[in-house]
Amino acid sequence: MFCYQCEQTMRTDAGGGCASDKGVCGKDEVTADLQDLLIYQLEGIGQYSTRLHALGEADAAADSFTLYALFTTLTNVNFNRQRFVDLIAEAARTRDRVRDAYLAAAPGAEKLGGPAAFQPFQTLVELQPQTKIASLAAGAATFGEDVAGLRALVLYGLKGVAAYAHHAEVLGRTRPEVAAGVAHALDFLASEPSDINALLEEALALGKLNFGVMEMLDAANTGSFGTPEPTNVRTTPIAGKAILVSGHDLRDLHGVLEATKGTGINVYTHGELLPAHSYPKLKAYPHLAGNYGSAWQNQQLEFAAFPGPIVMTSNCLIEPQPAYRNRIFTAGPVGWPGVRHIGDGNFAMVAQAAKALPGFAETAPEKTILIGFGRDTVLGVADTVVGAVKSGVVKHFFLIGGCDGAAPGRNYYTDFAEKAPQDTILMTLGCGKFRFNMQDHGTIGGLPRLLDIGQCNDSYSAIRIALALSDAFQCGVNDLPLTLVVSWFEQKAVAVLLTLLALGVRNVRLGPTLPAFLTPAVLNVLVDKFGIQPITTAEADIEAALTRAA
Amino acid sequence: MPDSQITLLTRDGARIEVPCASGDTVLDAAAGAGYHLPAMCHQGTCGLCHARVTSGSYEMSGYTESLLPGRDLGDVLLCRCTPEGNVTVQLPCREDQIPRHQIPLRDAVVERIEMVWERAVCLSLRLQPHDELGVAADFAPGQYMELAIPGTGIRRAYSLANLPNWDGLIEFLIRIQPGGQFSAWLTGQARVGDTLTVRGPAGRFVLDEASPRPRCFVGGGCGLAPILSMLRHLAEFQDSQPVHLIFGANQEAELLPESEIAALRAGLPQLTLTLAVMNPGPAWNGFVGTAAAALDASLAPGVTEPDIYVCGPPKMLLAVEEVAARHGLAGRVIAERL
Repeated sequence: MFCYQCEQTMRTDAGGGCASDKGVCGKDEVTADLQDLLIYQLEGIGQYSTRLHALGEADAAADSFTLYALFTTLTNVNFNRQRFVDLIAEAARTRDRVRDAYLAAAPGAEKLGGPAAFQPFQTLVELQPQTKIASLAAGAATFGEDVAGLRALVLYGLKGVAAYAHHAEVLGRTRPEVAAGVAHALDFLASEPSDINALLEEALALGKLNFGVMEMLDAANTGSFGTPEPTNVRTTPIAGKAILVSGHDLRDLHGVLEATKGTGINVYTHGELLPAHSYPKLKAYPHLAGNYGSAWQNQQLEFAAFPGPIVMTSNCLIEPQPAYRNRIFTAGPVGWPGVRHIGDGNFAMVAQAAKALPGFAETAPEKTILIGFGRDTVLGVADTVVGAVKSGVVKHFFLIGGCDGAAPGRNYYTDFAEKAPQDTILMTLGCGKFRFNMQDHGTIGGLPRLLDIGQCNDSYSAIRIALALSDAFQCGVNDLPLTLVVSWFEQKAVAVLLTLLALGVRNVRLGPTLPAFLTPAVLNVLVDKFGIQPITTAEADIEAALTRAA
Repeated sequence: MPDSQITLLTRDGARIEVPCASGDTVLDAAAGAGYHLPAMCHQGTCGLCHARVTSGSYEMSGYTESLLPGRDLGDVLLCRCTPEGNVTVQLPCREDQIPRHQIPLRDAVVERIEMVWERAVCLSLRLQPHDELGVAADFAPGQYMELAIPGTGIRRAYSLANLPNWDGLIEFLIRIQPGGQFSAWLTGQARVGDTLTVRGPAGRFVLDEASPRPRCFVGGGCGLAPILSMLRHLAEFQDSQPVHLIFGANQEAELLPESEIAALRAGLPQLTLTLAVMNPGPAWNGFVGTAAAALDASLAPGVTEPDIYVCGPPKMLLAVEEVAARHGLAGRVIAERL
């Protein structure tokens, strides 16, 4: 196994990457290798798909499978090796179908080699030696670390794009240019690119594609469930039977709410599903009772203490403890061996489990937090915001967004939020917010100082807010009194970072550590071109931001 | 004898004492005492198991140093922290958040007593509502429970044959032993509606679900109960790894019924089955001999080496372990003694 796709990857003097029999996330070697092989096959599908798209045709099922399959390989999504044996077989069938469609549509078509010609074996035992062909480490040995790292940047950005596009697709939104863009990137990777400029260009093209994908996801979420609005969310339990829904998928949460309507079972959100409470059509369910727990890395304690079933709808899953292994369910792309998977959106079994489990014995004193500051809400008060800046009441905006993680160094984000001066506005999104969103940050100019924009999936909203502010102030985004403090953990954050770069956003503070797949040479390019800066200390970074703005 | 003592302090002020053997990490020692503290990578790189040692000396090795900026204050990663004598550890969580391995005691009511085949009774019980556990029958396929004969305090351990479920239903396959106390109660006094106390689930005879190898199950008589539960679990999860079941019996009449075989095959189409009979009648044309001999025959050269799950009487376990060792598979045997 060799994997360095997430922030917590093993780092040694020899470089970054998990290369033993188990990754830091708990993914074992066999599963990691099978995932690499699946990606290799997806590149093969992309080789044919991109040519099919060029002919004005498409295999929608293949495009959809590609998004889903890429999503299963994100950090903390699917650890079930058997699932990958099945997906590899499905990928081979899909490739054959797309190939046949391409050959039928283009007589005298190119004969494609590489991943397009790969034939997988059937069983796990036979597949294991085959995974060598897809090893990322092999690429580094042949083409050098810089090229390998840039290929990884493209692949990981692509994974993030696919995850966002899948979330939109399950709510009925697709766009031909997204499928074509994904196929193009896979075809590009299949061509074993080694030109540094071409690789950077592709990464930025993916960032641009991702902007459209996030816009599509925003339309999917708001189109299905309404426009987020400021909402006080209860963070303490209510006596009674209970279900906890974690991950990001609003459609699955909706499915659980429907399955438990009128049963007396309360549904709680966990982690990145907190923003669900601000959508009118979700909060209309009276049994969407509140938010429980915090960010993903605390799930072993929080799930063990939760007195009902748990549904994990996307990343981030950690090895389920014996205490709750029989009452945690996976859905969508998620999987763990021996954990029940709900693949058909039928959550009746979860409702049944909730009835059988004890639920909360007592109602705890009510505590709430305020969320729901999506772009419509913030732009609705744009005049107030602009006025507050022009009158000097608000000096600066900090967007502290992104993922949370287990490493103690992430206290930086708590410190940052606490130490940011009172005349600044804090905007946040992603699960990194759990480092500071339960604290009272006060109000400013009639607005809460902490504006919760939503999930990491709502990055589009944050970008639209920034663009609207730059319109209002008649300046570029980089000239706004705005600093982006991005905490990254997995590949969706890579996609968002590429989007920011593609939009020309400079001076992003990136942490808690820089990606292990970016070599010093590549990092230098990113620093030169985009001013990306690693975090230092909260105090120093706040001061630097305010000095730059002043 | 423990070599040292670890005192775990929780955020809400609870003190938990845990014995620690020399060389064990705090995480291992706590798990050994039934306290499953959060952990992800187990190699000092993710930072999830961070805590602070407030007294005592310890060794920290092989971890990512940047994870512990407060190293001088006693900050540690529990997966890499080896006590050198007694230590006190401040945990960043409350006591009720620590998953504990406690074996629960519950009431259950008899729902069905049925002779399913020669000298084997299927006993179905329904768990009664419990404050902390509700009515769920939560166990890992392969585990057992202790059943107490009402009014006597006499307990016997039996493996669960069904699957974890939300209806509180637990099923056992019980071999009737002449002169056995539980057998006497079951065949003589037990009635539908009786309440008895059950303690469990317990036991480590469980599936290694992450194993990439084929699975071979070897069972005889009521040793089939935990294996049935495991096979039913694999069927429910649509596992597609190769599965071979070797079922040994003295006579054909002691083999599992055709209907049961058909049900297993319906859920696990890849299942291959060897019925091994020691003393068959003249009409028998299957394998003649012990289950261990059947295993020996199945481990032909060139076959992918399986994990071997075996449940049965001590003599059978010994024979299976011998066969496995001869094929170089001693480390692959997962056994439950009846």
